[in-house]
Amino acid sequence: MRASDYIEHAWTNLWKKKLRTALTTGGVVIGIGSLICMFAFGQGIQRNIKDRFTELELFNYINVSPRSGGGARSARLRRHAQSQPAGDPNEPIAVLDDDLLEELMRIEGIEAAYPEMRFPAQIRLGTREQFTLVQVVTSKACGSAMVQLRAGRAYASDDANEVMVSDSLLRRLDIRTAEGAVGREIEIRTVVLDFSLQSLARMAFGRGDQRLPVSNRVYSFTIAGVLERMGFGGPLPIRSDVFVPPGAAAGMRKLVLTGVSDLFQSPEETAGYSAVTVKVASTRQVMSVKASLEERGLRTFALMDQLDEMQKGFIIMDMFLLAIGMIGIAVASLGIVNTMVMSILERYREIGVMKAVGATDGDVQKIFLFESGMIGLLGGVFGLALAWAVSFVINQVVNGFAAREGVPFIQYFSFPWWLCLGGIGFSILVSLLAGIYPTRRAARVDPVVALRHD
Amino acid sequence: MDADGFIQIEELTKVYSSGPVEVVALRDATVSIGRGRFVGVTGTSGSGKSTLMNLLGGLDTPSSGRIRVDGRWISELSKTDLALFRRHTIGMIFQSFNLIPSYSALENVAFPLLFADVPRKERVRRAAELLCAVGLEGRSDHRPSELSGGEQQRVAVARALVNRPTILLADEPTGNLDSRTSRQIVQMLYDLRAEQGLTIVMISHEEALLREFADELVRLQDGTVLSQETLRGRP
Repeated sequence: MRASDYIEHAWTNLWKKKLRTALTTGGVVIGIGSLICMFAFGQGIQRNIKDRFTELELFNYINVSPRSGGGARSARLRRHAQSQPAGDPNEPIAVLDDDLLEELMRIEGIEAAYPEMRFPAQIRLGTREQFTLVQVVTSKACGSAMVQLRAGRAYASDDANEVMVSDSLLRRLDIRTAEGAVGREIEIRTVVLDFSLQSLARMAFGRGDQRLPVSNRVYSFTIAGVLERMGFGGPLPIRSDVFVPPGAAAGMRKLVLTGVSDLFQSPEETAGYSAVTVKVASTRQVMSVKASLEERGLRTFALMDQLDEMQKGFIIMDMFLLAIGMIGIAVASLGIVNTMVMSILERYREIGVMKAVGATDGDVQKIFLFESGMIGLLGGVFGLALAWAVSFVINQVVNGFAAREGVPFIQYFSFPWWLCLGGIGFSILVSLLAGIYPTRRAARVDPVVALRHD
Repeated sequence: MDADGFIQIEELTKVYSSGPVEVVALRDATVSIGRGRFVGVTGTSGSGKSTLMNLLGGLDTPSSGRIRVDGRWISELSKTDLALFRRHTIGMIFQSFNLIPSYSALENVAFPLLFADVPRKERVRRAAELLCAVGLEGRSDHRPSELSGGEQQRVAVARALVNRPTILLADEPTGNLDSRTSRQIVQMLYDLRAEQGLTIVMISHEEALLREFADELVRLQDGTVLSQETLRGRP
C-alpha cells in the first residue's frame, strides 16, 4: 500500500466516525495544547529575560569592587598589587579612585568605567515625599543604551541642574503620567553631618536620644527625563530611582552612606568609590577582562558567570512544565487506545476481509497506525491553535492589568518554530505509541474467525 | 489422484483444539483439481467444506498434509507469503458477501487493489470495468445496504476478480439468495470462468445446482472425502 493510500484510507475511516474522532482528538488537543502552552510560557519567560539582558547589554558589564583584605593596611593597589597573591589577608586594599579608573580604561576590551556613588535623600515632588538613594551618573551614561527613556531626555551636561527619575518613583509619588513630570521642579533633601553646638549638646546630653549629629540640606532640580523601570539590576551601573549629574552632585552637601553596613567599614575600606562598573566592548572579552581585574586584586561580578546557572534553571523549569503537561498527554493517550480498540472491535469483520483479499499483518497494522497517527496530527495542529488562542487571551488579560500599573506590554508566551513543529510531532509520536497495542491486536486477528464474526 | 493437478490436496487434516477437546474438521482429504475446472464441493453441515476452503485459500494452515497450487506448496508458506498468495492467486466470495458496509460498491470492488499498490486511477478503472462485467454499471455509488442480496453477491464477485486471480473460491455463494438469483450468480461464475480462464471451487448445499454447472463434484462427510466425481470432461 502506498503512503498516500494509507493517509486517504485513515482519513476516510476517521471521517465516518466524526463524533468519536472529534471527542478523541479533543482529548489530544487539550493535552497537547496545555503542554505547548506551558512550554510557550517557559520559552516566553526565557526569551524576555535573554532579550532584556541582550538589549541592555547586561552580559557586557562587570561590577568591580575592592576585595576585603582584613583592613590591616591601606595602600594604593598600584604600589603592591603585583607583590602578593590574591586573597591574602595582608593584601593591600585597592582603592577605587579616579587614578584607578584611568588605569582600568587602559585594559584591552574595556569600553567605559562608571564609578558608583549613591547617597540617601528624601525626594519631594508636589506634596508627596519618598525616601530613596540618589545616584551620581554622568550625562554620557544617561544618554547611552543603558538608560531607557519613557519621557523627556537625558540631562544636558554633567553640570546641568537637572535630574532624571524612574517611572516607579513617580508612581510612588502618585504621578500617573511620565510626560506630566518632565519639566517639573523636584526637591532633593540630603543628609549632612551637623557639628553645631546645639547638635553636639543634644547628642551628649539627650536622654536616651542617641541621635546622630545630622541635619538636612534641600536642593531643587528640574526633571529632564523619566526612565523605564530597570527591573533586573545585576551589574548595570544604574540602580537608583534618581540620577543627578556629577557637576551638580559635587556642589551638594551630602553624606555618602548607602547602608548601615557602611558604618562598620574601616576608613580605608570606604575610601574612593564603593564600586565601579566597567563595560566591555564584546561579550567574548568579558572573561579575559575579568581575569585582568582580578589580577589587580579587585573583586568582580559579571552576569556571564551566571549564564550556565541560568540555563540550568531554564532546563529545570522546562522539565517541570513538561512533567505537568504530560498528565494531559497520558489521559489523551488512554482516549486514543480506547478509540482504536473500539474501532478494531467494530471493524473486526473488515479486518477479516482485508486479510482475505491479500493484506499482510503489516498492512493491517499500518492501516490502524495511520489512523492513530492521524488523530495525533489533528490533535497536534488544533492543540497548537488552542495553545496560541489561550496564550493570546492570557497575554491580553495580564497585560491589561499590568498596564494599569504602568508596566509596558510584555509577550509572556513564545512559539518558536521548533516548539510548533515539535508539539505536532510529539502529538503524532504519542498517538502512534498509544496505537501500538490496538494495532498489534488488529494484525493478530484470525481471518477465519473474523469473516464469520457478526 | 491427478498427478498433473493444478491444485493438489494431499492427506489434508485440520484439528481444532478448544481446551482439552479436539475436533477433527478435516481428515486425510485428498483431492486433485485441474486448471480451468469448475469443481463443486458439497456435504452436510460440519462435513469440513468451509475448512477445506479456508485451507485452500491460505486463510488457515493444516494440522498435517499439504496443498500444492500451480507447483507451489502453499501449506509451507509463511504468513506474509500466504497473504501475497491470496492477493495474487485467489479470489474469494462468501455466503454473507462480506462487503464493507460503509464503502460504495465501487470502493468495495477496488479495495483489494489497495494492497497491490495499484494507483488510484487504475483502481477505479478496473473496479468500474468489473462492476460493468457483473451487470452493475449503474450501481457504483450505492452502498451494500442499498443493494439486493443478488447485487451484493455480484459486487463480491467483482471484488474477488479485481486482482485477476487464477482461482476463485466460493463458499456457499448462493446460501442467502433465492433460487432464481442463485442460478444467475452461478451462471455468471460459469461464464466468467470461460472468459477469464478461472479455476473455480464452489461449496454449496445445493447439489442439483452444482450438478448443472460444475465439471466435478467432491462430496465430504464428517471431514473425509467421500468421492470426487467427474460430471463433464475438459471443455
